[in-house]
Amino acid sequence: MGAYAVKRFLTILPVLVGISLLVFSFVHLIPGDPAVAMLGERATPERVAAVRAQLGLDEPLYHQYWIYLRKVLQGDLGISVIRGDPVLADLMHRFPATVELALSAILLAIVVGIPVGVVSAVWRDSVFDGLSRLVALTGVSMPIFWLGLMLAWFFGVELGWLPTGFRLDTDVTVRPVTNLYLLDSLLAGDARAFLSSLRHLVLPAVALGTIPLAIIARMTRASLLEVLSQEYIRTAEAKGAPQRTVVLHHAMRNALLPILTVTGLQVGHLLAGAILTETIFSWPGIGLWVYEAIQARDYPIVQGATLFIGTVFVLVNLCTDLLYAAVDPRVAYD
Amino acid sequence: MKRVIRLLIPCLVGGLLLGGAARAALAASTFVFGAQGEPVCLDPAIITDGISSRITHQIFEGLTKYKGATTEVVPALAERWEVSADGTIWTFTLRKNATFHDGTPFDAKAVVWNFERWRFTKHPQHENQLKAGQTFEYYEGQFGGFDDQSLIAKVEAVNPTTVRFTLKDPQGPFLANLAMFTFVLPSPAAIEKWGTESCKHPVGTGPFRFVEWKPNQEVVLEANPAYWNKAAAPKVQRVIIRNIKDSSQRLAALKAGEIHGMEWVNPDDVRVVRADPNLQVLLRPTNTTGYVAFNYKVKEFQDKRVRTAIAHAINKRGIVNALYGGTGLVANQFQPPPLWGYNKELKDYPYSADRARALLKEAGFAQGLKEITWEDGRKEPLAFWYMPVSRPYYPNPKEIAEAIAADLAKAGVTVGPQTIDWSAYLDKRKKGELPLYMLGWTGDNGDPDNFVCYFFCNPGASREGFYSNKDLAEVLLQAQKLTDQGKRAALYRKAEQMIHDDVSRLFIANNQPPLAFSKKVKGYVPNPTNTEYFNTVQVE
Repeated sequence: MGAYAVKRFLTILPVLVGISLLVFSFVHLIPGDPAVAMLGERATPERVAAVRAQLGLDEPLYHQYWIYLRKVLQGDLGISVIRGDPVLADLMHRFPATVELALSAILLAIVVGIPVGVVSAVWRDSVFDGLSRLVALTGVSMPIFWLGLMLAWFFGVELGWLPTGFRLDTDVTVRPVTNLYLLDSLLAGDARAFLSSLRHLVLPAVALGTIPLAIIARMTRASLLEVLSQEYIRTAEAKGAPQRTVVLHHAMRNALLPILTVTGLQVGHLLAGAILTETIFSWPGIGLWVYEAIQARDYPIVQGATLFIGTVFVLVNLCTDLLYAAVDPRVAYD
Repeated sequence: MKRVIRLLIPCLVGGLLLGGAARAALAASTFVFGAQGEPVCLDPAIITDGISSRITHQIFEGLTKYKGATTEVVPALAERWEVSADGTIWTFTLRKNATFHDGTPFDAKAVVWNFERWRFTKHPQHENQLKAGQTFEYYEGQFGGFDDQSLIAKVEAVNPTTVRFTLKDPQGPFLANLAMFTFVLPSPAAIEKWGTESCKHPVGTGPFRFVEWKPNQEVVLEANPAYWNKAAAPKVQRVIIRNIKDSSQRLAALKAGEIHGMEWVNPDDVRVVRADPNLQVLLRPTNTTGYVAFNYKVKEFQDKRVRTAIAHAINKRGIVNALYGGTGLVANQFQPPPLWGYNKELKDYPYSADRARALLKEAGFAQGLKEITWEDGRKEPLAFWYMPVSRPYYPNPKEIAEAIAADLAKAGVTVGPQTIDWSAYLDKRKKGELPLYMLGWTGDNGDPDNFVCYFFCNPGASREGFYSNKDLAEVLLQAQKLTDQGKRAALYRKAEQMIHDDVSRLFIANNQPPLAFSKKVKGYVPNPTNTEYFNTVQVE
């Protein structure tokens, strides 16, 4: 297990270097002068020159990459061209909001997706199965942007039940400790703030969680059906084990592996989906931040955030693989 | 199945509970405005974006300001002023009872301090900004540069309530420049305290004080109880400017009652807002013009008959009606109608494909115009460039370009609409590489000079498609140096006529950017320069 973990960890290093190369080079792949792009039509030549110097655009490419890499390794992701704030500090400040949203979404996806998949598999071809498959198919093919807008319009504008965006009502404040508002309001024992942040969380979490939910439900169903057709299940049933024990103890353990992989991949995709969800729901996490930075062509932010999201994605997949090995010892010996 | 039911019940209960909390009503003493993005910085001398200036304008005041919905300059922190006969010495008498939000007095010294900060690159509060990668772009632009290049040669505190400006040369738009969002006056003590962090700690004299800036979320202001102008004291206690990036979502928040007002309504949504009995649309008086520019290194465009033909070929009325959501106006000159240099007498080239074809035939293009020849002999199909991004003057550039191309085709001019990344577009335009292109301008200070001179005071500039009209430049430069508005207006009207007669450039449309509000909101006055004040706003 230990050797496997080390081996797996070593394989991600080239991936990380690849990400950094990509992130570094995309500034240079965009047509036009990045400095002019950032500063707009009225920029003075002096200001363009200053920004070019700040970004190091006048150095040779390999040298620029080397400087970039060295800074990144020292935890320096550069300075926002537009606001002048350090990118890493901003990233850390905004990341908890994204974590809160992504965790809620994936929790929702797991808590609803797995039971739905299990019920569908066990009562295969029942009305529930048909219905859940239809909903799952719709869920997988639903663009987040459209779903988010529809949720906001229906529950926010038409019914007026839930807010259309933001993390809190205008007259509620939470003293930031972890910047996870649900947790912070609980820590402060503030029921009103807790309810306010929970109400604000529902729609974005549903919008972001729908696709993973549908994928997890489909994968659970397929995986469980495959396991249920195997001979050891028939043996268990023949021994007279109750159906609940057969499904949850004998079958689920083996069916869980692909579900785990898919869930791990979803965590990565959630970070990408967060860009859209956060933009629609004005959720102040890194998604909205990156979106604004892309529009404003604030390259240090786009670079820093892409590198960060890429690294998180790789690490989550690494954890999934290690978890996989923990659940199924055969994996480590491959 | 029982399990499913057991799962469903708590879901339903939870749903009801959340629903029971219902739509939170906004307190009437709070005005919540939905902005289309996050402010960049709240130090007005540094910023160039409208989202930031919308906020700083509630906190800070300048010596002069624009009156209501106009670009007329009226007193603000200066009570009155006098100008010397030669137009180079301006003496301002200041308000006696104004104080900054940090308690320090507003006086002549504070004015001098701010102008010295903006002007001198060695001023500690200027130099530190340069080191941090910021500059005082608007000071440089409006007053000719920093240090010795500055048009403002001297600013002196004659006594605590009198400030005297000495200019190197008279400047027509001087008072209008002082009214710009960027030349409002921060507390010197606060700038000295916060340095480059002043962006996050704005301290002015205005009707609202800064409370908090929550990154990516909102900026909170509160009424300034010590505001010097009791007659203009704020009618709401708190102002919250929320960042709602997506325009449909801003509208959803407005309809749901979570915000009271918003800007940048999609052209298609203007009708939706108008149809809602709880909402209202306010149009900002236009201060923006979209144009089509010729490149004068293209031989065909050197022929005035060809340019006139193209002027006749474009159905501006049709474009404005179809693509501006009911907020556009047909333009026939560079300045938009609210500017005092606007030429009311000017008659546009009427839309007529027949007239256009006849003119082309006369110019030797009986078979139509498909290919152009550059001065260096290069021949190529005629490309028509449109911007890849939406701007106030062209809210749907691609659709507008397609409409223009279709109009031109009817007159026998075949163009291929084309675009490229925005920065590359601006770069190509600057180098004079675009043969025929769309672009526009939004005025900064309501002065005609700001509109026309930037484009036509440098004859032959590559940026302006190498258009060279020295007589026109002379008229504009003459107008720039006068301080008598009547005399200046006459010169700008003359300039517009010259541009028109030479068909130098084609002006397509002015846009009146729409704002949407709840009907509970009263007293919001849209201003052409975007300098709008929340102290007049009332929420019922």
